[in-house]
Amino acid sequence: MSMQSKFRRLFRFDNDHHDVSRAVDDELQFHFDSAVRDLMAKGANESDARRQAEARFGDVERTRSGLKAIDHARVSESRRIELLSNIAQDVRYAFRGLKRNPVFALAVITILALGIGANSTMFGIVDRLLLRAPKFLANADRVQRVYLSMMVNGSRVYLANSSYHRFHDLTDSSSTIEVAAAVWSPTLAIGAQNAREFRVTYATATYWQLFNIRPALGRFYAANEDTPTNAANVAVISYPWWQSEYGGADSVLGKTVRMGRLYYTIIGVTPKSFAGLGTETPIAWIPLSSGANNSFPGNGRTHWYETYGMNWLQPIVRRKPNVPLQTTNADLSHRFQQSYQASRVIEPSRASIESVKPFAEVSSILVARGPNRATEVKVAIWLVGVAIIVLLIACANVGNLMLARAIQRQREIAVRLALGISRSRLTLQILVESTVLALLGGAAGLAVTEWGGRLLRATLLPDLATTSSLSDIRTPLFTLCVAIAVGAITGLIPAWRSGRSSLALSLKTGGREGNYQRSRLRSSLLVVQSAMSVVLLVGAGLFVRSLHNLQSMRLGFDANHIVWVSPHMRGVALDSARQRVFYDELVRTAKQLPGVENASLGVSVPFATEWEEPLFVAGIDSVDKLGAFETQVVGPEYFQMMGTRIVSGRAIGVEDGRGTAFSMVVSESMAKKLWPGENALTKCVRIGADTNPCRAVVGLAEDIKSTSLTNREQWQYYVPRTQYDPGDVGELFVRVRGSATAEAERLRVALQKLMPGDSYLSAKSLDDVLDPGRRSWQLGATMFSVFGTLALLVAAIGLYSVISYTVAQRTREMGVRVALGAQSTDVVRMILRQSVALSGIAVVVGVAVALVASKWVEPLLFETSARDPLVYASVAGLLLLVALAAALAPALRAARVDASIALRSD
Amino acid sequence: MPPTTSKDLDLLQGTLDLILLKALTWGPMHGYAVARWVAETTGDDLTVEEGALYTALHRLEKRALLSAEWGLSENNRKAKYYKLTPAGKRELTASADRFERYTRAVFKVLRTA
Repeated sequence: MSMQSKFRRLFRFDNDHHDVSRAVDDELQFHFDSAVRDLMAKGANESDARRQAEARFGDVERTRSGLKAIDHARVSESRRIELLSNIAQDVRYAFRGLKRNPVFALAVITILALGIGANSTMFGIVDRLLLRAPKFLANADRVQRVYLSMMVNGSRVYLANSSYHRFHDLTDSSSTIEVAAAVWSPTLAIGAQNAREFRVTYATATYWQLFNIRPALGRFYAANEDTPTNAANVAVISYPWWQSEYGGADSVLGKTVRMGRLYYTIIGVTPKSFAGLGTETPIAWIPLSSGANNSFPGNGRTHWYETYGMNWLQPIVRRKPNVPLQTTNADLSHRFQQSYQASRVIEPSRASIESVKPFAEVSSILVARGPNRATEVKVAIWLVGVAIIVLLIACANVGNLMLARAIQRQREIAVRLALGISRSRLTLQILVESTVLALLGGAAGLAVTEWGGRLLRATLLPDLATTSSLSDIRTPLFTLCVAIAVGAITGLIPAWRSGRSSLALSLKTGGREGNYQRSRLRSSLLVVQSAMSVVLLVGAGLFVRSLHNLQSMRLGFDANHIVWVSPHMRGVALDSARQRVFYDELVRTAKQLPGVENASLGVSVPFATEWEEPLFVAGIDSVDKLGAFETQVVGPEYFQMMGTRIVSGRAIGVEDGRGTAFSMVVSESMAKKLWPGENALTKCVRIGADTNPCRAVVGLAEDIKSTSLTNREQWQYYVPRTQYDPGDVGELFVRVRGSATAEAERLRVALQKLMPGDSYLSAKSLDDVLDPGRRSWQLGATMFSVFGTLALLVAAIGLYSVISYTVAQRTREMGVRVALGAQSTDVVRMILRQSVALSGIAVVVGVAVALVASKWVEPLLFETSARDPLVYASVAGLLLLVALAAALAPALRAARVDASIALRSD
Repeated sequence: MPPTTSKDLDLLQGTLDLILLKALTWGPMHGYAVARWVAETTGDDLTVEEGALYTALHRLEKRALLSAEWGLSENNRKAKYYKLTPAGKRELTASADRFERYTRAVFKVLRTA
């Protein structure tokens, strides 16, 4: 039977249209036949009689179609009423059934809640990351982000940010771009005393042209307030901030607020639900130029608006109408190349344009959808697939449970069919029952989503706005749709079967014979869900191994014991002598605090900030071309404090004083890079300019991970603070005995007393600094494990129920076997063999699927092969173990079968 | 029978339903029998176009004032028989009453001076 006719039969779609038309035609035919007959009886001939009858009737065809229309309306209305009353009846019936069998109901609702909840949770996240465009954009289809990329070591690398100079090179008087804006959203200390850090967006005045908004109060800033020479210190604050800090009062306009180093006058408030371009609403918007003055006060030599070296902003453009994307990309790329040439003139040590091939393209305004999406996003997209698999497994399982029930009720169903209930009525009843279950599961799933989503955002995706998943209608609506789909899928599996079962056979045998063979459908559902859980568990294993490799990797410093304390100087200008006193005091005080082992100063912070200077080494043409060398300016005991090992030579210590010979320590691979095959100790390096005095290498330190966890090519060198003046830059590292994350706030409060004027400190553990870099693997390992375990659990339940069921079905057969002399161990072995055989097939299928998928997962893993045999072997072993465990109880039950009782039953 | 003018229709709109409901108080009838009964009862005073009559019958069926069933006619042909439903009976009483009050009021106006 074809799929379509089967479907038709399942639902008994009567051809109402045809029947109604026929009835009207018949009625009118009867009318005219009767009229003509009566007229002819009165003596008219046939054609006259017909003409008269028609004249008496009026416009026959119009009436005919009018009657058909009325009848159609009547029939469909009565169908609707009938359907509604059937559904109402079935809903009552379904609830009665569930109340009678609460264990079944609870099992199904739990399984569905987990499956649906997993999907709604992932939807909530992906919706935030990928689906929700920023609100209020004018001509949103033409507003895009500019992504710049270059070739580095043979692969295309996207630049996270651009310089101000570059931004103007790319967009000034462009023929393809209508509006060009630039943004950066750093955190700034807000308020004078007891300053706290909040996100603030630096945006060009053109930013406001991207949106269709008017200020809720006051005004936005204009172009003449946002130039490097005339940067107005004005702020537009967000609506929520206006409400929480100023009570929504109009008098907020004209008030001053300290943000970072500068004071800002509030000139406007954004509309209520305006959130800017990111996922997190900033508390205020300030002119880009003013923001740059605030963040980059400069040293008087290089200004932020002149250099190509400071990359901090992100260009956003609105393309001109009717300009194709390729034209814009070509224009931007051309300008980028010209700009790159210009920057090489200023900084000749940059690589040649032929080798870096600068390329610019416009793409989605959402970074997560752009070409440079973060690994977390890729993992999140994978997790969506995983969540769907979990749901499919849940559906297969629930379908299986419903099928088991349908088979138990086979005799009842056969009786009802024999008593004349239509198959479509029966199908409807099963569908209503499954939909009721799915909706209950969906409601519970929404609770899972709310709870799981909060947990996920708090622990693994903190950058996402932390609003409830129920804060708008999208996630609940999605959940409802999924629940309805699940109801249909899980209902159709048993409905399909009940439509197929042979009436006579079921009635005759009381639903015993013939069932065993028909459980093939259940077995295949079981194999499919077990195979899918194998795939998920392999994924979980790979990510767990990645995370393990990551955590056991040596960073070159003890992240979990070190607090990074960063002073932010405001409103004070210390001369270099007073700076020295200040920093010395900071270190001395920190060392005396309880729980502190040691403290030292630096200028570069791993995974946060880096300091670079040009290097000059005799015999090397251009050191800069060999890579980026990171400067660390250290105090005595730095290496001991950080836990960085000295490989040879000595560390920098108290002997490297102000008057002594200039010294430095370089990392192992830096030594190899600069002096391959030679002893690096006592070699000479000049820092800053080739006329500067020679610095002798006195020691080699182990390499540290400082910019990326995956990149191996990282070079550091260390110079004593006494012999190198970093100005007012000083980062304090404090080694604590306990957990750095727990101690950070205590240190901040204790040291804040030393801060002059409005200056303040921020403090966090290096572990927390590193966290964003580790997040994608944490996310993958956690979520794959959760979903994988869920899938395994569900598959185990499925296995258990199928084996139990077949055992129950085969009680008589067991009885015969035992009566014929089979040992109970034979029976146990037979049942276990069945379970293991099913799982064996599932393992083979699952492993094959996982191997095929592995090539796409590999880039997301950390130093782990996507075909890691250990992972595959453990998953296979685990599944077989679970299969044995799930079959053991029913097998033992079968072994206890008493032959005489079994043979007498039914 | 001459084609009905719109003036006749105006008259029919309000009363045709009433007439049909009344016709069916004699028992189930098929459409042709209803048409004949209406013609015989009203004579030449009212001209009822049969097409309009069928339309009215179907509308009444849709409003569940009539129910319909296929049966055999006097000379053994399949015909659609209409029957008053309880709701139809109630509607007949109510609208007959309404119609009487209405016509009485109109006569009263016409008889003054």
